[in-house]
Amino acid sequence: MKLTKNQIDELYKFTRKHYVYHYDVQSELVDHLANDIEKIWEQTPNLSFEDAKNNSFKKFGIFGFMDVIEAKQKQMNKRYKHIMWRFFKEWFTLPKVTTTLVLFLSIFFFLKIQFSEYILLGTLFIFLIFDVINQFKNRKIQKEKKGKTEKIFLLEAMIGNTKGGFTGITALNFFNFVNLSHINFSALEIHWSIIVSLTATLLCILFYVIHYIIPQKAEELLIETYPEYRLVNNL
Amino acid sequence: MSNQKLYKGSLQTIILKLLATHHKMYGYEITQKVKELTKGELQITEGALYPALHKLEADGLLDIEVVKVENRLRKYYKLTEIGTKETTDKLEEMQQFLKTMQHLVNPKFSLE
Repeated sequence: MKLTKNQIDELYKFTRKHYVYHYDVQSELVDHLANDIEKIWEQTPNLSFEDAKNNSFKKFGIFGFMDVIEAKQKQMNKRYKHIMWRFFKEWFTLPKVTTTLVLFLSIFFFLKIQFSEYILLGTLFIFLIFDVINQFKNRKIQKEKKGKTEKIFLLEAMIGNTKGGFTGITALNFFNFVNLSHINFSALEIHWSIIVSLTATLLCILFYVIHYIIPQKAEELLIETYPEYRLVNNL
Repeated sequence: MSNQKLYKGSLQTIILKLLATHHKMYGYEITQKVKELTKGELQITEGALYPALHKLEADGLLDIEVVKVENRLRKYYKLTEIGTKETTDKLEEMQQFLKTMQHLVNPKFSLE
């Protein structure tokens, strides 16, 4: 006996109920449960769909789908870092390396200005406000999408929300660090100025890649990661 | 069934070997194949299989292919080029391990 379309939909709902929120992870588990239920029915054809489903789920152990979710998250973190690195590297090859150099020199000379730390704090603050607005917009889009299709891929959620951990919170930490450390940047020795400028340059590029470049290329990256992305979204 | 712990460390090698022989397989198929080949002696649990597959995929040893089968999506795993090489290495390691264990548990006595 084969599972009907409705029963497959039931299984998707079942995985969601057990904390599997992303479509890519759900799909694999649904196919697994479906195969197992069909196998169970071969041996005991009179068993109800509900019972067969529960018997199959029990085989995942007391933690249910948790181990699978965790492993998938780890795998995707690795992939996200790989993508991040791919775009980050570009800023150190021609022609983009010129922008990187200009940025580095600008920060370096900017730090020499007296009271530059206050200007830096101001810039970070403005950035934070923009980030909060951006996050808010993104959440809204994701929420609307969730309401409509409920097919959100794990990498899609990472590109939109968690951003591999480099969100505005990281910027807030820098804000606090600069604010509390009371460093007078203009009085720093040259080697410290270079280190500070270099770190700031690298961070600027990283934020730009994560907040602008990767989201812009989201669809391309999702198609590359998920062979089923086109199939599901009818692209 | 009681010696499942002994097999635990070999799960990745088992998966790689199966994929080397069968070209492409999906999760459920792997569990069934192992059960069939070992006549039920080894049963890969679902909670261990998928994390292992996802790790191998993240390490670049496996590639995926998704096909619509009946009314659902099926994710097939197959070896990448690096995966094929790694399978050979892992199988060699396994042979070495078996040999060492053999020596340990069943030492040959000599008169010297």
